Amino acid sequence: MLSPRELRALGGFRLAPRKSFPGKVRGERLTSRRGLSIEFADYREYAEGDDLRHLDWNVLARLETPVMRTYRDEEDLAVHIRLDASPSMSFGEPSKLDYARRLAMAVGVMGLIGGDAVSIRPLGDTRRFPPLRGRASYVRLQEGITATEERASEGFARDVRTLASTSISTGLVIIISDALDPDAAAALNLLGGRGHEVWLLQTLSAVEIDPDLEGDLRLIDAESGAEVEITANSEAIARYRENLRAHNEGLASAVRRIGGRFASVAVGTPLEDVVQKTMRREGWLR
Amino acid sequence: MSFLNPAALWAMLPLGGIIVALYLLKMRRQDMRVPASFLWPAQTEEIRANSLFQRLRFSWLLVLQLLAALLVVLAAARPQTMQSGLAGQVTVIVLDSSASMAATDVRPSRFDAAKGIVAGAIREAKPSDRLALIEAGPNPRVVFSLSSDPRKQLSALDGLGTTDAENDVAEALRLAGALVGGIDGARIILVSDGSFAPVTDFSRGKAAVFYQGVGKLSDNLAITALGQTDSPEGRLLYVAVKNFGPSATEGTISLYADGKPLDSLAFKIGKGSTWGKTLQVARKTLVYEARLEAPDYLKADNYAVAVADPGANLRVLLVGPPDPFTERALGLDPRVKLEKATQLPANAGGQYDVVVYNGVEERPVSARGVLVLGRSGTGSAIKESGTSKGMEFLSKTDDPILKGVDFRVTQADKIARWAAAGRGTELATSSRGALVVKEETAGRRRLYLAFAPLDSDFPLQVGFPIFFANAVTYLGGARDQSALSVDAGKPFSVPAEKEAKVSFNGDSIVPSRNGMAVIRSVARVGRGEIRVDGKPRALYASLRSERESNIVPQKSVSLGGGEVKTTQTPTRLGDFWRPLLALLLAVLAFEWWLFVKKS
Repeated sequence: MLSPRELRALGGFRLAPRKSFPGKVRGERLTSRRGLSIEFADYREYAEGDDLRHLDWNVLARLETPVMRTYRDEEDLAVHIRLDASPSMSFGEPSKLDYARRLAMAVGVMGLIGGDAVSIRPLGDTRRFPPLRGRASYVRLQEGITATEERASEGFARDVRTLASTSISTGLVIIISDALDPDAAAALNLLGGRGHEVWLLQTLSAVEIDPDLEGDLRLIDAESGAEVEITANSEAIARYRENLRAHNEGLASAVRRIGGRFASVAVGTPLEDVVQKTMRREGWLR
Repeated sequence: MSFLNPAALWAMLPLGGIIVALYLLKMRRQDMRVPASFLWPAQTEEIRANSLFQRLRFSWLLVLQLLAALLVVLAAARPQTMQSGLAGQVTVIVLDSSASMAATDVRPSRFDAAKGIVAGAIREAKPSDRLALIEAGPNPRVVFSLSSDPRKQLSALDGLGTTDAENDVAEALRLAGALVGGIDGARIILVSDGSFAPVTDFSRGKAAVFYQGVGKLSDNLAITALGQTDSPEGRLLYVAVKNFGPSATEGTISLYADGKPLDSLAFKIGKGSTWGKTLQVARKTLVYEARLEAPDYLKADNYAVAVADPGANLRVLLVGPPDPFTERALGLDPRVKLEKATQLPANAGGQYDVVVYNGVEERPVSARGVLVLGRSGTGSAIKESGTSKGMEFLSKTDDPILKGVDFRVTQADKIARWAAAGRGTELATSSRGALVVKEETAGRRRLYLAFAPLDSDFPLQVGFPIFFANAVTYLGGARDQSALSVDAGKPFSVPAEKEAKVSFNGDSIVPSRNGMAVIRSVARVGRGEIRVDGKPRALYASLRSERESNIVPQKSVSLGGGEVKTTQTPTRLGDFWRPLLALLLAVLAFEWWLFVKKS
């Protein structure tokens, strides 16, 4: 799914959510809780009963004031990768689903490298499995992604609402989908309200970004079956582009409001460019 | 606006119905699965139809196609609007080129102004309009026939000029009527100053007649008389000048005898009055000329000439019913000043040099010569024994009177049976008796022809004018003239063996036919030369026409029994289909653009 070169390139990055989340086991990720660790957090005045091992002797010698060094605790991060496998993801050449699998593999690998608890599921799938941890889980991660086949869906918004209602660990939710649902923004708001940090990687095929339609058509929605009669002329295509732009702006705005991140990626964009020029540059990774 | 073919408007009903029906047909659309349909606007344009009916929906294409159909139907109905313009679809312009049109009261002249009007009509004519031009001079002619070639028309117009002669507007209008009188909506436009005789015998047919007047002022003096008379006391020269202008005018007239100044007289003439003077002059002078200096607008009538040779100017009275053939034959002779009467006037004695009895009984008259055609009378040198039908020519003598005349092919419907009597000499003989007889007594000559021209086919033969020229020479008693005086613009003939060469504002050579050279005309007044068989003679041309000298611009003219007023901007019903066609093309272009944009 990913070439060895791509895997090597991903090895240098860690997922960097804005929020910190309490983990289940000690991991490699700093939490906001002060505790015992090697990561310095701050100074505080000494109080009776404190562990003298964390007294800063250098400060005491210079200032004759006992000051305690405090450290941030290190915990694992729950990374929920949700891959949209609805019928609308089968469009494009290669299909959006194929491209979304590669994106899912990339963020999953970065999560495993970072010591996060990674779970990979199709969007809308409520089954629960133990999360994957560590580099040794690459194979299982790949098996999980490869096993994600096109499945019936009642729409992106419905699937996101289902996810929000599922009792999963609070953490980073990475949704890889075309998000072509008029109700998507409201559903994302709901998911963000559950305490998750939501990253939405939107994948759009070339025919969606720049449709090449002609003539008098009856368009049938691949998921809802809704029909629209159009005359595909320049005016109709211009209005489609405007609608798509407005929809994407709505998605980005909704995701930003809940503290998440949003990026729209065209199918076929090299994975290296997505990681380097989008995720890394915009602070998704560190 | 009116329609030439209003029935075509009904075509809008089926045409519009078909177009609307096409828009009632329902579109069969191609199904296509898309990831999300909500992003697409429910925007349909019914530009094609291939299924059964649906509810009619508003479409700009439908509106434009109905508009295009309406424009086609309107164009097919041939709408017409009133448009200004001299020319119509078929137009004959009659351009007056007589002497009065040379008046300079409008600059540079009335004729040039008239040419400008004609040129404007040619330029403004539409490509489908057909124009013809007739020059109404002394001899009307078609300058260009009905055509639609402005370049050639303007070129032909450019070559026209005036002549110092009377015009024949009636003949020109008859010619125009013959050209377009049978065409609906045709126009005959007369461009003139109105200085012509009322036109009575003219029928416009289906054509409309317009009169475009030219000229503003009428100041003009003209020499109306110049002549000499021999009396026992000597030779008297008389001259007269008339003022045709609206106010009293001063002038000076200079008289010349054989080219040398004779006298110069100043005068002042009141409005409409005539000033005259008689002078005693020497008998030896052959040619008298008069030149008038006055502040007037027409110069052609400021010159006059009188030749003192007794045969050079002959007053000829033609008595009998109208006979255009005989009138024309006599008129060709430059010596003849022709007058006409149906019967001999009571005071005719001594006034005329020659009297011609054309088909009427000969009466005794005091004249130098008498020509009797077909009917003798008391005292004739003829013994008549009734009339016959038909004749056969038998013989003739070598008398100069019959030189160039051939009676062998002449047929006469009615011929008098004559025999020479008294001093009469038979010059030609037919199966019915004497055909031509002459009689010469002291101071008088008489000549007899046994049939009247209108009772025969003689006028259609080449010998006809020659016979009259020979007869006038014999009866007038002319000598070998060294000077010839003619009316400008009129044809004349001279006896010639080979040719006559005319030098008058340019040279022209006229070959002789049957002993006679017929010169078409001399266009301008003045002095020139004519060489007949190499022998030179002075040639004088002058204009004496009160009609041409009276240059008052006429506001209305009498044409064909009705008054026609001058029109400044005539209007015409013009086709309006060209703007509709242009609009139709614009609509179709816009409809195509819209179709491409929406498809």
